[in-house]
Order: sequence, then structure tokens, then C-alpha cells
Amino acid sequence: MLSPLIWLPTIGGLLLAFLPFKLTAQQSRISALTVSGLALLWTILLFTQFDLSAAGFQMREFMPWLPMLGLNYDLGLDGLSLMMVALNSLLTWIAIYGSRETMERPRFFYALMLLVSGGVAGAFLAQNLLLFFLLFEIELVPLYFLISIWGGDKRDYAATKFLLYTAIAGAFILASFLGAVWLGGSADFSYDQVLQIELPQSTQIVLLGLMLVGFGIKIPLVPFHTWLPDTYVAASPSVAIMLGGVLAKLGTYGIFRFGLGLFPDAWAALSPFLAVWAAVSVLYGSVTAIAQKDIKRMVAYSSIGHMGYVMLGGAAFTELSLVGAISQMVSHGLILALLFHLVGVVEDKVGTRQLDQLNGLMNPLRGLPVVSALLVLSGMASAGIPGLVGFITEFLVFQGSYSVFPVQTLLCVVGTGLTAVYFVILINRTCFGRLDNQKAHYGKVSLTEQVPALILATLVVVLGLQPNWLVHWSAASSKTLVAAVPIPETRIALQSEPAVFSPKL
Amino acid sequence: MTTATLTATLPPSTHEFSEVIHRLEAGGSMLPDTPDNLKQIIGIYKAYAVPMDFYWRDLLYIAEQVFLNPLPAFKYFISEEYLDRPNAYAGDTADLRIWRGEADAHPELRAFMEKGEVNRKLPKLLHHLWHDRVNMEFAEACMEAMLWHEDINPGFNAYLDSEEYKQNSDRAIRAYFKGNPAMLGLYKLFPEMFLEQVKKLSYYANLGLFWEVMAPVFFEMSDLYDEGKMTTVPEAMEFLVNGIFAVAGRPIYHHVYIDGECYEIIPKSQAFTWLYEAALPYVEAVFYRTAPFRGTKSYNAQAGQIPADQKDFHYGILYADVFPVGSAGIPPTLLMQDMLHFLPDYLVEEYQKHGRGEDDMLIQLGITFQRSMYNVTSAVIQALRTALLYPLDDPNPEHLKANRQFFEQQIDRFKRPEARLRDVQDQSYR
Repeated sequence: MLSPLIWLPTIGGLLLAFLPFKLTAQQSRISALTVSGLALLWTILLFTQFDLSAAGFQMREFMPWLPMLGLNYDLGLDGLSLMMVALNSLLTWIAIYGSRETMERPRFFYALMLLVSGGVAGAFLAQNLLLFFLLFEIELVPLYFLISIWGGDKRDYAATKFLLYTAIAGAFILASFLGAVWLGGSADFSYDQVLQIELPQSTQIVLLGLMLVGFGIKIPLVPFHTWLPDTYVAASPSVAIMLGGVLAKLGTYGIFRFGLGLFPDAWAALSPFLAVWAAVSVLYGSVTAIAQKDIKRMVAYSSIGHMGYVMLGGAAFTELSLVGAISQMVSHGLILALLFHLVGVVEDKVGTRQLDQLNGLMNPLRGLPVVSALLVLSGMASAGIPGLVGFITEFLVFQGSYSVFPVQTLLCVVGTGLTAVYFVILINRTCFGRLDNQKAHYGKVSLTEQVPALILATLVVVLGLQPNWLVHWSAASSKTLVAAVPIPETRIALQSEPAVFSPKL
Repeated sequence: MTTATLTATLPPSTHEFSEVIHRLEAGGSMLPDTPDNLKQIIGIYKAYAVPMDFYWRDLLYIAEQVFLNPLPAFKYFISEEYLDRPNAYAGDTADLRIWRGEADAHPELRAFMEKGEVNRKLPKLLHHLWHDRVNMEFAEACMEAMLWHEDINPGFNAYLDSEEYKQNSDRAIRAYFKGNPAMLGLYKLFPEMFLEQVKKLSYYANLGLFWEVMAPVFFEMSDLYDEGKMTTVPEAMEFLVNGIFAVAGRPIYHHVYIDGECYEIIPKSQAFTWLYEAALPYVEAVFYRTAPFRGTKSYNAQAGQIPADQKDFHYGILYADVFPVGSAGIPPTLLMQDMLHFLPDYLVEEYQKHGRGEDDMLIQLGITFQRSMYNVTSAVIQALRTALLYPLDDPNPEHLKANRQFFEQQIDRFKRPEARLRDVQDQSYR
């Protein structure tokens, strides 16, 4: 049931790269769209097969591979992975659809995109630590090429920086995995096995620390984020959608699955600091975004801020906050993809991303009215305006976290205020105002160019109005995750206070 | 011959628009003489003349028939009689035949009124409610600009304030509301309110009579161009100048018809004329001044964006920024939308080759309209020069100097950064 998600894109990508006959750009694009479209359909099938009430992993697949290393092909799906896999399939299709038709070496591009997608799907489904690590590392190379070949200015610098940071992140993660297995004396690297291990709290803290640095680079959290703005800005819109929409989720997914799952005692002990860290990330991301003059950099920094909410929800590890955090991962993926797509269209048509040069794009006849309208919508969604998906997920996180970490939560609420500030700046400078009569002879945005944005915007609105369709998939999984973590004494007192703080979903 | 005399007698102008001034002195237009410009302006004259044919008929219908109706819900539903009303400058019955076509409403206008954009025969009311109609509001806005900028039409306004005008209005008001004690009571209580409305209606008549001339002029220019008899921009301007002089003396009046009886509110005997009481005030009010667009300027008194003095207003078509046409708060959109229905094919083809083709045609035709109005303004400037100063080939250098001073004064008004004179010199401004 799960394997096609990995193998469809992977084999499709390899075929696309190595088939002996010639393909035009259009043909390779259609092939890539077909393959990723099939993967997307398969994902929808998974939703229909998913058992909402089951607590553990479903649709397990197991095949011995290298038993000597403890590395087995072991897949499984729970609510958390389901959301991530769905995001991956959707955004891959969107990213491929939104790619520029005039690019160079299209076959190689689409092949790499499909490889990334297949690998990421595998990482989200892997039930074996080494398998996860393997797939995690595999992403790096195609992404390096995707950035360094098809990127914009300073792409070499950005690609190298990305590669180095992520490789180092991998080292930290591997160290943590190995430590957990060897110190715990587990027979192999299967997730279920490692889950049984009980390590002393001090050891757990060290291992969790390593993991936090490793995944913290990937998410990224604040001191480890400096690769992100350069990379997102240098990457082409399609690649940026994959990077920000999907790859960043590998970090938070890893932290929840492995950090929270494997080292519950350490997690309980460190959670107040994690919450502070999250708040710092949120505020830092927002304040830095305010200072930017390039709209893509703004969106990149907004991403740092928004991943902070996910961390806050994780740190609080109430059922509600975890559901919120998982949903926030999805909603951030959708909104960021929408923003990057729109910014890509603006750059393509107008030829600049600078706030002091853009103006008046809302003009109905000579501007980019639909793009501007969607930009306003996505800015509002990102800033947490009710009726859109961003509000739902942020509110779930805040509601779930406030009883545990009131101060940190309030700081994050301030962060959403600041998010509104920079999005209003962005929208005001780009969409409002009047066009420059000398320069404003922009090309038309065709309907096909708007399709990805229209799909994403529809999802953002629909899930904002009917949040249950987003939230209920991960309810059982968050319950399982929360049950694993011992609740520190200080929190029991806090949590037992008013019942209103933890409404049932 | 003309240019030879000029270069021999006057040194080159040092004005920032010296090129334009030299062109005016040589008998040209502010608009450069290129085949593309000619095609654009003539095409747009045609597209402008058809809605204008409706504007003048409806303006007169409102001034003469709707009059003081307190709820004029159907003032844009003009009667058959006004559609058939012979234009005084077209057809066989013309006082002076400018256009060789028929004197009643233009066939394209009739077709549009019948079927509209939806291209289906529906009751008038449905076309109106679906906004499938001529935007009469634009014509009313032009009228209001003329009414409000009162300093530019002193003779006419003096009469509107005179005792005689009040008495004429009084008779018409009483006749109109005969048997309606409520309105008559109101009139007794607030006579000024009603008088002010009548003044406004006199301006409806004024503008209607102005456009009654312009519509056939534009139709004839379009026909001449189609026949290959109008080949340069200066010829187009010259035709306008001649047209202006030919009808300069046409009377401007305001007659009201109540129960089949005619009330002369402004009698023809007042001898108000087309050139001085309608054309020149119109050009000043609509081409130069009008009112600031709600979508471009802030009316906030503290912000001080709008001049305190009406003579400094510079929001007419010669200054307008056409790029935001189609957005909220940009009144010319109404006119552009009207002209869009009546574009000749050769202009549509032209627009499809530029910009976004069909998609931003409203803006492209707006810029063309701006070009054509620079040509009309050139005609007015040349006409004024002919009336007040000396011929262009005058051998006396002092006279030529006076002409130059006059031209420079006129062009000085386009030194403002908002003025589009510089833009229309360039063929890439579209």
C-alpha cells in the first residue's frame, strides 16, 4: 500500500533521466506531471483506507534488507506521516506544474524533482532509523543540483551552504540514532525496537540535544537558520516550494517522531527551554522579515517564524497542541507554497522582487490582479486571519500550549501580530499604489499559470472553514505520542486547573 | 514657404517644448504628424462620436423634457422623438451640413441600444439594470465640471444670476409643478433650491448643444479618412479649426417643454454663442481642469493635495493618468467603456498587436483618446490664435513674436509633471 509512494516517483524519475530516446521539454513536463499525479491519486487512496481510530502504525510493510546492519525496508503510516505524505504528494505536483516551461535541461530537472519527492515520501514512512537516515541524506544531492543549476543569483553559494549545513545536520542525527541504539543495546534499528529502550534521563538529554541540533538545522530554528534565506531566495520557485513546503517538514517530523518518541523523559525535562526557543524563533523570524527589502526573503523569514509555532506545540505536548503543531506543518506547507508560487509569478512577469520597485500590481488591466488578490489572501492566511487555515492551526497550538507555557505562548501571539505587520508591508508595497507608466508593460498571467495558486488558495480557504478535514487525521497519533511522555509534576498542577483550556476536538 | 519665412524672422524658441512650439508655428498640431497617430485619433473620434451622439440627445432630453422631475429614475431612457431629432449639422435639413450622413441617431448607436453588449434584444429596463448601456453619468460629470468651474464662463453665469433668468425659471417651475401643492409649497419655502437645479439644467442644455456639433464633425472626419481624403494630423486639426469657425456663432439656449408649451429659460435672443459660451468653457473645464479623481488624489484638507484655487486644477484628460483606467475611483473609465463598443476594426487590430491585446484595450484606447484630445486642444489653440492674433505667415516679425508668446503661454500649462504632452510625443506611449 505504501511502497508506490516511494517507487512511483523514484522509478519515474530514473526512467525520465535515462530513457534513451529524446523528449521535448513539454513531453518531459507532462511525463513528470503524470507520475506525480499518479502518486497524488495514490495518496488520496490512502486517505480512504486510513483507519481513524487505530492508535498505532497502519499498512505496515516489511522486507529484510541488510539485517547485519539492522537496516530493513520497514514502512508504516500513522496520522502524522499521513499528513506529511499528503503534503509531499500535493506540493510535488504543484511544483512540477508551476515550473517554467522554458528552462534548460528539463528532463534532468523533472527527474531530480521526482527523486526528491520519492525520497521524502520514504523518509516520512520509514519505520527504521537507518532507513529514515538513508532517505534523509539522499535528498541532499538532487536538491543541491536543483538549486545550483536552476537557481537565480548566488546559487552556487546558496547550494553549497545548503549542502554543508544539511550534511552536518545529518551527522548530528546519525550520532543521536547510533547513540540511542548502541547505548540501549537494541538488536536493530527498527523504530518499534528502539521505542522499547529505556535510557537514563541524562543520556537521553545528550542524545536529544544532538537530535535537536540536527533537525533544528533542517527546520530551521533560530541560530541554525542562516542557510535558509540564501537557499530559498536562490532557488527557483518550484524548488523553493519543495524546500519550504516539504523539506522543512522533515525536520519537525523528525523531532516529533524521534525526539519526542524516543527520548520522552528528556523531552519532558527540556520542554520549557524548547518553548522559549520556539518563541525566540517566532519573534526573530518575524522581526527579521520586517526588515527585508526583497519579497522572497520576507517569505523565507516568515517560514522561520512559522516553524516556531510547530516547535511550541511540540514543546507543550498536550493532545491539542500536538494536533495543532501537526496541522500547522500542513498549513504552513500550503501557505508557503502559495506564497512562493505567487512571488515566482510576480518575479517572472515584473522582473523584480524589490519592495521599492514593485507597485500597483492590483491594477485590473495592466497589473496582475488575480495574483495580487491571492497574495493578499495568502498573506492574511499566514498572519492568522480567521476563516483561513493559518488561524485554525495557530489557534490550536496556542490553545493547547497556553495552559502549559503561558509566557512563551503569549510571545508567540505577539509573533503573529508581527507577521501581520510584515505582510501588510509586503502587500502595501507590491499590490497597492500605482503602476509606473514607464515600466508597467508586464506580460499577462495566463489561467494555466494561476492553476497552482488557485488550487492552494481553495485548500487554504476550505480547510480554514472546515478545519476538521485537516485536523481529525492526526488526532489519534497525537494521543499516542502524548501518552508516551511523562508529564512533569509542575505541569500536572497547571493542567488540572480549568477544563476549558483543553476542549475535546 | 511658411517655414522659410519663420526661420528667417524668428530665432528658435528656448522653451522646454520648443519642438512642439515650432510645430504649432508651422501650422501643425501638438501631436506629431505620423500615420500611426492619424489612424489612432481618427479611429477614436469615430468611437467617441457614437456615444456622443447619445450624450447630446439625452442631455437635451433631460434639460428640455425631464426638467425638474424630483425622481428622475428614467432620465437615461430617452424618447423616440429625441432619437429621431435631426442633428442641426447633419442630414438634409441641416443648418450647415458638416456630416453627409443622416440627421437622426447613428445606426450603430441604435443597434447598441437595442441589443447591447449581450447582443440580445431585451427590454430597455433590463439592459439598463444589467448595465448594458451608454454611461450617461460621464456626460453628466462633464456638465458638472462646467457648472462648478464658474469662473470660466462669466457672461453665461452672469445671466444665470440675473433677475430675468429668475423670472423665466419661475414661470417654468410653476408650470411644471402645476397641480402639485407639495412641490409648489417646497418652492415657496426654498426657491433657491429649485433655481439652482434649473441652472444645472441650463448647463445640461449648454453641453448638449456643444456636443451636437462635435458628433457630426467627428463622423465626417472618420468618413473623410476612410475615403482617403484626410492624410495628415495637421489636416485633421485644420478640419477641426474650420469646423469651430463655421459654427462659432450657433446660439446657445435653454428651452423647456411643459405640456407641449415651450418656456424659454435662456432665449436665443440672449445671443450666447457656441464658441464663447460652450466650446471654450468646455475645453477649459473638461480638458484641463475637471475634478481630482477619487482614486488618485486625497481630498483630505490637511494633506493639501488638491489646490485651493480652482484655476490651478489640472485633472482633465490632458493630464490624466490613463494606466489605472478600469480601477475604482477613475471616472474616465466610464467613457473608455463607452468607446470600446464602437471601435473601428482597424483600431481593434492595432490594439491586439500591443500591450496585452484585448485584455488592456480599455487603457490602450484611453491613451489614444488622450492623443486625440491633444489634437483637439491644438485646434482650439490655433483657432484662438486666428481669432485673437495674427496669421502664421504674417510678414511682420513683431506679430510672429506675439504668436510665439501666445503659443508659449499655452504650452506653459503642460510644464506640470502630470501633463502628458511629453508622453504623446512618443509613439511607444500606449
